Amino acid sequence: MTTRLPAQPNEVIDRSKPLAFTWNGKKMRGFEGDTITSAILANGEHIISRSMKYHRPRGVLTADFWDPNTSVQVGDEPNVRASHRALVAGMAVSAQNVWPSLKYDAKAANGLVGRFLTAGFYYKTFMKPAKMWPAYERVLARFAPGGKVDLDTPHGYHDKRYAHPDVVVAGGGPSGLAAAVEAARAGASVMLVEHEHDLGGHLRWGSNDDADALAGLVAEAESAGVEILTNSTVTGRYEDNWLAIAQRNHPIAVERLIKARAKVLVVAPGLIERPYVFAGNDLPGVMTSGAVRRLIAMYAIRPGNRAVVLTANESGDAAIDELERAGIEIVKVIDARTGATVTKASGSKSRVKAVTCSDGSIVDADLLVTATGWTAPTSLLNMSGDRPVYDPASARFFADSPPDNVLTTGGIAGDGNRDELISHGRSTGRLAAARAGVARHRIQAATTRATAVDGPEPAYPDDTRSPLGRDPHPELFRSTSHGMVDFSEDISSKDLFGAAAEGFDSVELLKRFTTATMGPSQGKLETVNTVAVLAEARGETLAEVGTTVWRPPYAPIALGALAGRVFEPVRVSSIQPWHEANGSTPILAGQWVRPEHYGAPQQEVRNTRANVGITDVTPLGKLDLQGPDVAKLLSQLYTNKWMQLAIGSVRYGIMCAEDGVVLDDGVTGRLGDEHYLMTTTSSGAGGVWNWIENWLQTEHPEWQVHVTPVTTGLTSINVAGPNSRELMSRLVGDDIDLDPDAFKYMQVRTGTIAGVADCVVWRIGFTGELSFEIHVPSGHGLHVWETLLGQGESLGVAPFGLEAQRIMRLEKGHFIVGQDTDGLSKAPTTGMIGLLKFDKDDWAGKPEVAWALEGDYPRIVAIQPTDPSIVPDEACQILREGTKDIVGRITSSRFSPTLDRAVCLGQVTPEFAGPDTTLTVQLVNGEQITARVMQHHAHFDPEGERLRG
Amino acid sequence: MGKHKSPARYSAAGLAWRGLRNKSWPRVWREPELKSAYDVVVIGGGIHGLATAYYLASNHAITNVAVVDKAYLGSGGSGRNTAIVRSNYLTPEGVAFYDRSLDLYNTMSTDLNINVMFSERGHMTLAHTDSALRTMNWRAEVNKLQGIDSSVIAPDEIKKLSPSLDTSPNTRYPILGALYHPPGGTIRHDAVVWGYARAADAYGVDLHQKTEVLDILCEGGAGPNGKGAGGKVTGVRTNRGDIHAPVVVNCTAGWASTIASMAGVRLPITTHPLQAAVTEPVKTFLPTVIVSGSLHVYVSQTDRGELVFGASVDPVANYDMKGTLEFTEELAGHVLELMPGLSKMRLMRQWAGLCDMTPDYSPVMGPTPVDGFLVDVGWGTYGFKAGPVSGEQMAACIAHESMPDLIAPFVLSRFTDGTLVGEKGAAAVGH
Ligand SMILES: Cc1cc2nc3c(=O)[nH]c(=O)nc-3n(C[C@H](O)[C@H](O)[C@H](O)COP(=O)(O)OP(=O)(O)OC[C@H]3O[C@@H](n4cnc5c(N)ncnc54)[C@H](O)[C@@H]3O)c2cc1C
Repeated sequence: MTTRLPAQPNEVIDRSKPLAFTWNGKKMRGFEGDTITSAILANGEHIISRSMKYHRPRGVLTADFWDPNTSVQVGDEPNVRASHRALVAGMAVSAQNVWPSLKYDAKAANGLVGRFLTAGFYYKTFMKPAKMWPAYERVLARFAPGGKVDLDTPHGYHDKRYAHPDVVVAGGGPSGLAAAVEAARAGASVMLVEHEHDLGGHLRWGSNDDADALAGLVAEAESAGVEILTNSTVTGRYEDNWLAIAQRNHPIAVERLIKARAKVLVVAPGLIERPYVFAGNDLPGVMTSGAVRRLIAMYAIRPGNRAVVLTANESGDAAIDELERAGIEIVKVIDARTGATVTKASGSKSRVKAVTCSDGSIVDADLLVTATGWTAPTSLLNMSGDRPVYDPASARFFADSPPDNVLTTGGIAGDGNRDELISHGRSTGRLAAARAGVARHRIQAATTRATAVDGPEPAYPDDTRSPLGRDPHPELFRSTSHGMVDFSEDISSKDLFGAAAEGFDSVELLKRFTTATMGPSQGKLETVNTVAVLAEARGETLAEVGTTVWRPPYAPIALGALAGRVFEPVRVSSIQPWHEANGSTPILAGQWVRPEHYGAPQQEVRNTRANVGITDVTPLGKLDLQGPDVAKLLSQLYTNKWMQLAIGSVRYGIMCAEDGVVLDDGVTGRLGDEHYLMTTTSSGAGGVWNWIENWLQTEHPEWQVHVTPVTTGLTSINVAGPNSRELMSRLVGDDIDLDPDAFKYMQVRTGTIAGVADCVVWRIGFTGELSFEIHVPSGHGLHVWETLLGQGESLGVAPFGLEAQRIMRLEKGHFIVGQDTDGLSKAPTTGMIGLLKFDKDDWAGKPEVAWALEGDYPRIVAIQPTDPSIVPDEACQILREGTKDIVGRITSSRFSPTLDRAVCLGQVTPEFAGPDTTLTVQLVNGEQITARVMQHHAHFDPEGERLRG
Repeated sequence: MGKHKSPARYSAAGLAWRGLRNKSWPRVWREPELKSAYDVVVIGGGIHGLATAYYLASNHAITNVAVVDKAYLGSGGSGRNTAIVRSNYLTPEGVAFYDRSLDLYNTMSTDLNINVMFSERGHMTLAHTDSALRTMNWRAEVNKLQGIDSSVIAPDEIKKLSPSLDTSPNTRYPILGALYHPPGGTIRHDAVVWGYARAADAYGVDLHQKTEVLDILCEGGAGPNGKGAGGKVTGVRTNRGDIHAPVVVNCTAGWASTIASMAGVRLPITTHPLQAAVTEPVKTFLPTVIVSGSLHVYVSQTDRGELVFGASVDPVANYDMKGTLEFTEELAGHVLELMPGLSKMRLMRQWAGLCDMTPDYSPVMGPTPVDGFLVDVGWGTYGFKAGPVSGEQMAACIAHESMPDLIAPFVLSRFTDGTLVGEKGAAAVGH
């Protein structure tokens, strides 16, 4: 049985394009231009869902985006708004909150016990037995509304767009359209954003004259060059008109985010028709006047056969005409302006059958149309910092005082006939363009540019629009009976009265306790009725009760659209392709991918100690520092002294945060008079850069220092091992003298390596071997690496990875910031007491470090398990013997191929830090072993003879 | 002695009885007159203030107590948080303290006779890097010794517990392991707030909503108007008049430093917004709480099916609760990084609350240099789970005029004698 009417003059469906789809598995047909619900209704079905708590059958109520009980599953997409989503051929649509089926829903039994399921009932029961809550919880979870996520849904790309329009108009009804047209004509770049599929707002279901006027406005907008986005929503207004626009009609992305900085925002979202509260108001067949007008005029759907109309306004009156025109019998009109109303709709389980009127009469009807007033969607105004004000004479909220760059027009601003609305829109558009012009001038004047701004700043235009009127409207929220207030949450006015009586009697508490307005329409339909019912319960006015704050987004937006593409590139050194081609196992270290090893890390260690090894240390943070005040900066940041560092020397330093906690460490070399190269840990690179900028920009803006991060600009290679000098000598040009007396430990040289000019080489030794760290311009990194391998063949050169490097540094007892230290380790913990220079004026963390030195700070010590073959896992706890008292932990541990035994670093309390102290270490499996605290941090070559060699 | 007027008991039978007779429940709490003097005035009607008042009455028979809040009960962080509770902290002090809180949560539904919906669904902190994994191992080892159920699990086990996670190695930030803490979970924050309020009210504690403290009255202090070190508190000035009290407790979280300064007390606290968001509901599919420190995000699914998301605090200190677009973008990006299958779910609402951050990620509790002016603040992003134990201990502190052991490490003076608490590592994004 179809309910499709004969062709309507302004219908949006294209009868020449039938579309096949399925509804709960059943094959159906609709037309292009249909929404999912109009197509389902056309096929003679009218139950779209079951309600959340009571599982009552629900149908179309508003026939637009906010239709509360029309969320459906479409393929892998949950919560599709069926009264908005356009029908597409082949859609598999199914009802969501039903079990086992929409028609025979077993949970409908809840309706019988409804009286006990008052709002917030779950707070009052299921407490005992306590153990049972998880079981209750599983049952309650079954009632979770909403569709199903298909975990295999592809992420996809939703690239974002950035826009800087002069004016954004939110809402494409007559006023918004007119505003967009005039703003564009005045020279502004304009983006017009319309929530629905077509422009026009209420003109879309109006008279033929309305349709003509609409066509005229659209043509004007197009010729004025307005950028029109339909099926798109301004979902958020953030600081200074930073707008989020969800574009749902993009050809490739399901939904796309447009981020726009508008100079002026025009808010023209029209009005949302408010449902009326009375017994049975949620029965299918009860609809708003807008719903029936849309169904008939746009989709040619017969919404019922025998209608009762409750009208308090023009929209209700127009619905009567529309119904009559469509040949639907009007059995009764109740004019609410005369004080009459509806007290009850009753019916079978699935449809209205009769309507009880306030005069006591009962009429048979299968359609009840209500036109009881409007809710102003003041969301965007709220997000602009405005607190809308209730006007009892017209029974709705109006803007109070939004900022100058936010203007309202159309229904949200007042009432008027079509021409008045258009004319208000036009003057709003002109005002918006003029204000945007001033903003543009200010921005141009404030920026350095090649051509100067023309002329003086225009005068800031005052708002001289003649305001729209306000039609009187009766305050109609609830009849004398109780009915649904929140259709998506199944909250009735009785629930609200009950909650208010219990003391949840401010809007915020009421909302939280009952969950009214918390569902998918986020209060668009429910807020005002909720406030009204609470006002009634408290015997106050709506203004006294106030509203809750609307929060973004205005309409829900897909996570995929918000996420967009992930701009978090993986970083690699210029040598990475070689590593991959040569059997390296990659490891993710922060942002970097680097070689962990090339098959046998222990062998890599042995070879480096015996011959020579090379390793790619590009991820080391590198900052190029230039200027007369670099030394001052270094003195401020590092705990040790920097004012006297000679050109050609490097120095190791520790940096502390202001609480004295170790922030980073590394080596910095002086390359020239005012030129230094700083290295940081790999993970600390970004943080140290920020830290330096913080000092330079906010603490010492007078210091002249240029900081350039060059981490990836230079490829860094460490050449380590007894043969390293010989290997280097085969590569360096005449400009670098490698003689041990000419180029000492902790010195730096710049020059040519493997024919590459402008390289930096310094002699340091993280591995404990004689070693040279070279930094070459990245483009030549691979060349230098390969040359080292080629020239070093006879010297036994082999690459080593991160793991071998970690083993060697541990053998050598070098701590790693963030591994051997933690978020509370102050500088003294590292044992580097000699580096803490208290005779310096100041350095970051100095007072805190001084303090720490007086107290019982934990110590980093080298530890060797008594049984050389047991390597305790990093994180193993060190206990006071025979107790569970934690006195320290292992922070680093490896098997040392050089010493053929387990070696560790750990942090212990001072009591346990003395050399030769015996420690009790609890292994991960719970077993306990003993270990010994060593004399030096270095397990190997404590005198450092090798690296100075 | 506290005159304990037992409130109407909540029970299934009560629901049925009132349902049948169409009777509504009595008021959860009274709307009392504002008296001009109380023994104790608690500023802030969040979980900390209400729990303190409740335990003062129930454990120490101190019932001449007022709780004042400038808005409604639970309007601060207590009504805005994502209600994750756990006890797998890092330091012995932290563990002992939060574990006591979990104990109180476990019996709260029956103790307070309101279903707080404590859902021990398990709490998983993901490690995406070597170093994160190392920290987790450390926490697991410490927890083991303290008898806390918490261990490091591998990707295949993670996948079993939460199939929606992408545990494959080819993601941008592969999941290398997780610290799994079965007793952690979520709770219905509003119910906890209302439960304490209702129970405190029944003991005779006066709850005053829409009562804003404008100044703190002091005498004898070194500063102007007798404020500051060496002085003592005499009451508070509110928008509804002065209230005299020898003891005033500051439980105002995000506003804590401004309130303390009214007494001439400077706190080492900065306030940062913390944002959160929820999606539209879908059928439940996420059984545990998921936290990822590297991706700055945590997720859980409510019984209603909404996903609740949180992140780390906004980087810049301020008092703005509007929320930003960038937060939702970064959040969505990171959530899809973890669970790509959610790309068609929609974000429904975002909001922000204020967090009172201390340098060592631990609270400040107990006395201040102004006699009678106490604080229970610095709760940052982790204060909800600590509400019950804080209230219990603060009440003891007030009643006995000495610091109980459990909260001794959190004294204000630690900032001037260098004994900070070491929870930094475990608390960052560690809800
Ligand atoms: C988004 C978000 C997520 C969070 N997630 C978690 C989590 O998962 N787990 C967790 O444990 N914690 C979490 N937290 C932290 C937690 O919410 C807070 O630490 C906790 O709620 C603090 O409680 P409180 O009672 O101290 O303060 P609040 O609940 O903030 O209460 C302070 C009260 O003081 C009132 N007040 C302020 N100024 C005045 C005045 N002048 N006069 C009178 N009254 C005043 C306020 O109105 C407010 O009600 C989160 C916080 C946020 C914002």
